[in-house]
Amino acid sequence: MCDARHGCASHIFCLITIKRPPKRLLNIGKRVIYMKLLIRLSLIFMMLTSAVTSWAQVSFTVDAPALTALGQPFRVEFTVDKEPESGSIEAPSFEGFDILAGPSVSTGHSIQFINGKQTTSYSCTYTYVLMPTAAGKYTIGAASIKVDGKRYSTKPQPIEVIAEKSNTQQNRGSNNQNPESHIGKDDILLRLKVSETELYKGESLRASLVLYTRANIDDIENFSLPAFDGFWSQELSFDNTPSREEYNGRIYETYKLTELLLSPQQTGDIIIPSASLTARAQVILQDSRGANPFFGGRQIYHVSRDLKSTPVTIHVKEFPAGAPASFNGAIGSFRLSSKMPAKEIESNSADQIEITISGGGNLKFITAPKISLPESFEQYDTKVVDNIMVNATDTSGSITYTYPFVARSAGEFTIEPICFTFFNPTTGEYQTIATEPFTITVLDDGTATTTAKAERYVGYGSIMRQLDRDIRYIHLGKLPTKAASLFVLTPLYWLIVVVIVAIFIVAYVLLSKRIRDNRNIVARRMKRADKVAIQRLRAAERYMNEGNRHAFYEEMLRALWGYISDKFNIPVSNLTKERIREELYRRNVSAAIAEQFCEIISRSEEAQYSPTTDGEMNDAYSEAVDVMSKIEGAIKR
Amino acid sequence: MRRVYNYIIGIVVGILAVAMPTNIQAADATTTAKVHWEEGIAAYENRNYKEAVEAFESIIALDEASAEVYYNLANAYFKLGQHKENAARPFSAGELGKAVLNYHRAIKLNPAMADARYNLELAVDHTNDTENIPQSFIATLWQGLRSMMTSNGWTITSIVMLAMALILVMFYLLSANILLRKVGFFVAIVLIVSFIVTSALAMSSRRALLNDDRAVVICNDTTPVHASPDSASKIIRQPSQGVTVRISRVHGDWTEISFADGEMGWIRNSNIEAV
Repeated sequence: MCDARHGCASHIFCLITIKRPPKRLLNIGKRVIYMKLLIRLSLIFMMLTSAVTSWAQVSFTVDAPALTALGQPFRVEFTVDKEPESGSIEAPSFEGFDILAGPSVSTGHSIQFINGKQTTSYSCTYTYVLMPTAAGKYTIGAASIKVDGKRYSTKPQPIEVIAEKSNTQQNRGSNNQNPESHIGKDDILLRLKVSETELYKGESLRASLVLYTRANIDDIENFSLPAFDGFWSQELSFDNTPSREEYNGRIYETYKLTELLLSPQQTGDIIIPSASLTARAQVILQDSRGANPFFGGRQIYHVSRDLKSTPVTIHVKEFPAGAPASFNGAIGSFRLSSKMPAKEIESNSADQIEITISGGGNLKFITAPKISLPESFEQYDTKVVDNIMVNATDTSGSITYTYPFVARSAGEFTIEPICFTFFNPTTGEYQTIATEPFTITVLDDGTATTTAKAERYVGYGSIMRQLDRDIRYIHLGKLPTKAASLFVLTPLYWLIVVVIVAIFIVAYVLLSKRIRDNRNIVARRMKRADKVAIQRLRAAERYMNEGNRHAFYEEMLRALWGYISDKFNIPVSNLTKERIREELYRRNVSAAIAEQFCEIISRSEEAQYSPTTDGEMNDAYSEAVDVMSKIEGAIKR
Repeated sequence: MRRVYNYIIGIVVGILAVAMPTNIQAADATTTAKVHWEEGIAAYENRNYKEAVEAFESIIALDEASAEVYYNLANAYFKLGQHKENAARPFSAGELGKAVLNYHRAIKLNPAMADARYNLELAVDHTNDTENIPQSFIATLWQGLRSMMTSNGWTITSIVMLAMALILVMFYLLSANILLRKVGFFVAIVLIVSFIVTSALAMSSRRALLNDDRAVVICNDTTPVHASPDSASKIIRQPSQGVTVRISRVHGDWTEISFADGEMGWIRNSNIEAV
């Protein structure tokens, strides 16, 4: 370890055994817990006689417990890190304590080489073993020591001595062989300590889970934290060095297992349920049966205890009435600073307003203060940048809100004060802080006139916004006539209906002759005649469509003769053209029609065997229909 | 249509006025109403809504009310409630309920009054009224058609339809030209159908007017609606002022009402006013 080249002349080994506070590492997050309590550590210090490079600072410290029980000896150590002048120590008077032993002096010296670099350390410790004589608060006065002709002194150290209740104390010393009985009911406790039990919604409190023990704990299992329902919680980094604390008149070693910052999110009484864990304690017993002289006959037992913390009730107070409109739950103490845009900006250019809220309180839960920009300002999404630190008692820091905007039209505009209201729990009052009103001049960017641009902006691409709604304006003008009473089904209504219907009936009666004539002449007769003629000539029509000339005229003649025969009930064999003329005359059919009828018969007889065109066939057909209709009409009249 | 009808009524009233001396009083009332009307409009223009309300109310008291009077009164009530000294509590004296009530009355007299419908919708937005039960398409169509004119408007239309239909029937009967007869026949059929439809609309409108069971909640704050006509019974709802309900029956101091969503309950008579 040491080398002659580095000037080490001789080595002195010194074995010192000292009682030190136990070193332990608690890591709740990883659930790996190492606990070693009250272990006597044997440290080997290599003491060197060689010269030590002088240190700039000399530290002279005192190490003594802050709390001790009456009747229990404890040690006070004064340590100096540079070789003192021998016999220069001046111990304090230790008033209220009996000195059982001391001062015992132990010195240590070490040299370390790290990457070829040599560091030396030296320590000299003066140890006193003291016994408190009475309960109360005492102070161990300053001790002083001379190093290199200069005198250094320690700080006075307060010590509290309490008279412990001695309920399980007797048990400890007795020769009971049951390890369970060595760990009393109150020897290991789990407590959830809260910094506040009554606070406003949004305020923060510190909750720490502390293990109190009077036994050697060497393991913790099944550790479970309660659900902090109704709270926003954040784990805090904490100092995990153990300390001693008096609880219920007894002194415990305390180990902080976890520490949280809690912020209630609802009002009323919120109960934090129990946390639980299983602690394993070590009990060392003297084995009476197989006392082994070599190993001291000691047996190590493990005793497990399931621990539960008592539930804690937190009373969350309601905010007092009369909150201003701009209040939205911020609680604490805040400052507001703002960075306004330039006094003059060009239209259609972008700028921004910056609001910074700084201070301590529920910064994480505050919302951006509302700002009202003039209508022609196009506002964009607010940007939030926060710089929040969570410390042991509170969250503090700052939040910066950036409100970007584009001024669309030129003119002079006033930006209303931006208000931020918070509740100050210490004064119990609402406080509103506001920015100064700000006037901004928007200069025309020179592309168009203000109004034209504003219109263009409104009209282009974007849907016109409905800014607000209100009821439509009243009815103006002259007083309208009184609302008329119901007209339908009144006598007047019936009168009008009856009169209209009566007029119609009278007109109908007066014109009934004309109506009937109209109906006979125009419609019925004509239609009937046509129908008869067409029925007769249906076969002829079929032959005409086929182009069978001979058959067509044959059928035409059969229809024409047959028509008269059927109509006047005369056999075809008795019919002649003269007879037809005679019969038609008798029935008031005009001579012209009769003549036309006979002429068609003659023409058909001739055409039956002579070549004619289809057109003539068609003419003959329609003429026959026409004349038959005329005869029908004439006869029916 | 209205003007035609008013003209007819005018003639009838004129004839009656000659015959009956009591109508001289009516003429007097009209003159007073005209003065109130001018007063009301002037007060409204000067944002003196309290006076405007009084002026329009006195026209109604004189029995000279028209849809426009109710509409203006409702507007005055609405504005009076909106412009309270205590801006945090608008409509604190039941103005919203009165406004809704008078918009309903205006629309009842003139279903075609678009302004009143618009303002009613806006006023109802301030209440906690529930959504209507959706109606069938036919019912909505029928009501939409009916609200295009007043009952009297539909009556006049139906009479004109009848007269025109009969003229066209006559035309059909007398014309010798086939085309004209055909046109006359079909138009006459259309007109007769129109006559039936418009008459039905007039009757339906009349029935809606005569059998109107609607009422509006009138109170300063929310009113409890109980499950039975007994103040110790369960409170089932708390309608705000301006909520429109339907009256189903009255029992002593209590009225059974049904809400737009079909829920029923009992309310004190003094808390509602029938449309």
